[in-house]
Amino acid sequence: MSDDIVAEVAPATEPTVTTSPTQDSPATANGDTADASKKISPAELKKQKQAEKQAKRAQAKSSTSTPSQQQGPFKDGSKQQKDSKQTPKDDKSRPLPLRRRPSQTNAPAMKEQPEKKPKKEPKQAGLFFGHLYSQPKQQSLVGASKDVHPAVLALGLQYSSYAICGSTARMVAMLLVFKTVIEAYQTPPGNSLARHLTSHHLGPQIEFLKSCRPLSISMGNAIRWLKDIIIKIDPSTPENEAKRDLVEEIDIFIRERVTAADRLIRDLAATKIQPGDVVLTYAASSIVEETFLHAHKSGIPFTVIVVDSKPLFEGKQLARKLANDGLTVRYYLITGASHAVKDATKVFFGAHAMMSNGRLYSRVGTALVSMLANAHSLPVIVLCQSVKFTEKVALDSIVGNEVAPAEELLSEAERRDLLPLKSRLATAKNDDKSTLEDIPADTTDVLKWIEDAKNLHYLQVLYDVTPAEYINMVITEYGSLPPSSVPVVHRLSTNI
Amino acid sequence: MSADPEAKPIPGFDIVATYRRILNDDAELTMPVAAIEALVEAIAQSSVSTVAETLDLLERHTAALKASIANPISLSAGTDLFQRYLITTLNRPASLNLGPDDDFRAIRNHLLSNGKLFVDRAKQSREKIASFGKHFIRDGATVLTNGGSRVVGALLRRAAESSTLRFKVVYVLPSSKSCDSKEGHQTVADLRDHNIPVATIPDSAVAYSLGKVDMIIVGAEGVVENGGIISRMGTYQLGVLAKSKGKPLYVVAESHKFVRLYPLSQFDLPIEQKVLDFKVAEEPKEEHHSKNEQQRNVFDEAIADMTAKTHVTPLDAYDAVDFTPPDLISGIITESGVLTPSAVSEELIKIWF
Repeated sequence: MSDDIVAEVAPATEPTVTTSPTQDSPATANGDTADASKKISPAELKKQKQAEKQAKRAQAKSSTSTPSQQQGPFKDGSKQQKDSKQTPKDDKSRPLPLRRRPSQTNAPAMKEQPEKKPKKEPKQAGLFFGHLYSQPKQQSLVGASKDVHPAVLALGLQYSSYAICGSTARMVAMLLVFKTVIEAYQTPPGNSLARHLTSHHLGPQIEFLKSCRPLSISMGNAIRWLKDIIIKIDPSTPENEAKRDLVEEIDIFIRERVTAADRLIRDLAATKIQPGDVVLTYAASSIVEETFLHAHKSGIPFTVIVVDSKPLFEGKQLARKLANDGLTVRYYLITGASHAVKDATKVFFGAHAMMSNGRLYSRVGTALVSMLANAHSLPVIVLCQSVKFTEKVALDSIVGNEVAPAEELLSEAERRDLLPLKSRLATAKNDDKSTLEDIPADTTDVLKWIEDAKNLHYLQVLYDVTPAEYINMVITEYGSLPPSSVPVVHRLSTNI
Repeated sequence: MSADPEAKPIPGFDIVATYRRILNDDAELTMPVAAIEALVEAIAQSSVSTVAETLDLLERHTAALKASIANPISLSAGTDLFQRYLITTLNRPASLNLGPDDDFRAIRNHLLSNGKLFVDRAKQSREKIASFGKHFIRDGATVLTNGGSRVVGALLRRAAESSTLRFKVVYVLPSSKSCDSKEGHQTVADLRDHNIPVATIPDSAVAYSLGKVDMIIVGAEGVVENGGIISRMGTYQLGVLAKSKGKPLYVVAESHKFVRLYPLSQFDLPIEQKVLDFKVAEEPKEEHHSKNEQQRNVFDEAIADMTAKTHVTPLDAYDAVDFTPPDLISGIITESGVLTPSAVSEELIKIWF
């Protein structure tokens, strides 16, 4: 975020020479600066530079203490972010840039921005979630760095298309691919593996994966662990040996932290299912599924309620699998959750992450279901490997979250239902009326309407945060704990 | 020593009898400490010579002990703790500093002497808790307690002995059929001797009296992983009432009562209790239904019956226990300090990992 601050604030510092220093709208500031920079003489330029320096110094001091400036109007904020991202491209095409300092290069570029894409700018920035749109999601191989290993490219696309979904699955897939990446790695002459591998070879891979879909907490933990063992490799170890050791270590990590942990959690959680229980779960989690199947195989008679919702409908798969294995399953959408909860006796959740303040970060909708369960005083049990524990804390679902693109918000059928509304939309937009009439009705258009509409925002977040007081028990491979003990176990599992 | 666990334990040594004897000999002793003392004695009298044998012996004795009494929760806290201690010391004999040529006999002697040390310390802990806990009683306060617990008795007595502290006690008397009732009367008489005004009330008068009460102190049979307690029947409703009136509820318990158990509800305890006994017509027996018991659904009862062990007579309502969830507890006063309920799990993790 720090570079965003600079980008946003720098133009405002310039007009200190010509106009008053209190510029509340960066857009107007840009206009002024562009004019001003043309007029001034070399002497004035010097003066201006000095003023700038002072302003910048003051800014550096205040930037940490005044988050309001940066957060203030979200629309402007993210617009600026966008602009700053585009500047490098525009900047290169300019014949003679006035100054090359990073704080100023974006000023001329910004002048042409407002006219160019005035419609798209305020979009996506709406509501409280503007900050989540700052990084556009990579959906193709275009623009990928040449350093990225083909296996990683494939994995990235699987991430962004949700072919590999779920925090554990993503982490395991990543580690397996990293094994190939490490095997294909050759230390360049004059470098040591321990120093070079992480920053120069793994770095771009991780960056690419991050651009496909934000890293999950478990992936972050696994990457931290991997970097840690790479840096600890003795530089005198022969390269082949070091690579073999790394691959082995990764296998052990997966075996200990995922496979064995899953088994322990599954066994422990299955003992919590009593004969006659009606266990409710939300969306899908591999470990919850394993637990149900294990309990079912050990002959405990119980039934399952799967509550599910948009956009991924993960619960459908789970319900299907459980039903195929002979369990009695009821499937509800989240709109019927209040009814589902009435019949349930226990609630099991999977987790994306457990925060250090005991809060659960999981598929959006989990908080709602857990609150309902709490209101009915049902025990809420979270199944979570300790690799998903994080030292981060979350107070709400807004600051840290992930947004899904619009096409995942509306299903194909829903888009088709919206098509008859096209005529109304066309009257609202006078300028390109004729073009709209020509194009045959296509479901993909619906998304364009949303995109073009000034007063319609779409928002599809993927996660939410469940407060600790709605969680009765967290089952990990270390045993069952209250949510308040998450930081203790996290410390324990990372310090060994 | 390849006997299967179901086989009769060591001829010549009756762990259950030893345990009972220890418990009877010393009225001050709690169940977990008595269990540890019995186990130490069992090891002392046996002729085990290897680590595996010791653990095997311990396991069989523990199983025999647990099977012999109706409510092994408190006892299992002691046996688990001892077993855990043994495993850690036996696996790392070097940490005992017994010298380079340590043989198993040396380790065993070390264990035995440490076991005795543990028992001594456990006895002292009650006094330590009393000295911690008495600061929670402010001058002029009225304390409500449900008695039965020796630690609570010790704490109140200690507070009474202090000359600067004036306080009143509301004592919820246990039912006369309960095994705790004698202990309760003893404490009341003691306190009255110390010039502490004591009012005794029945269970049903708790809500009525709460308006005059400043704080509540209860004992516990076991402190479970989530920071809740397992205690004499009626503690849960006391907790619910206290919470609704905003009165702090403190638990006094020695840390050897921390038990690795995580009940999710009243009916998730690993013991059978004959509290809800549904009957029709013939002999209408008077029953004390507490608020929480009435919520119990019929289905759970059926399950409890199915899974119960048959050879131990279930506890009846007067000696039964209930589970008080951690959100009703303000603090747990132990000999190692005053803990919040959430710190219990941390302490247990420290012991077990």
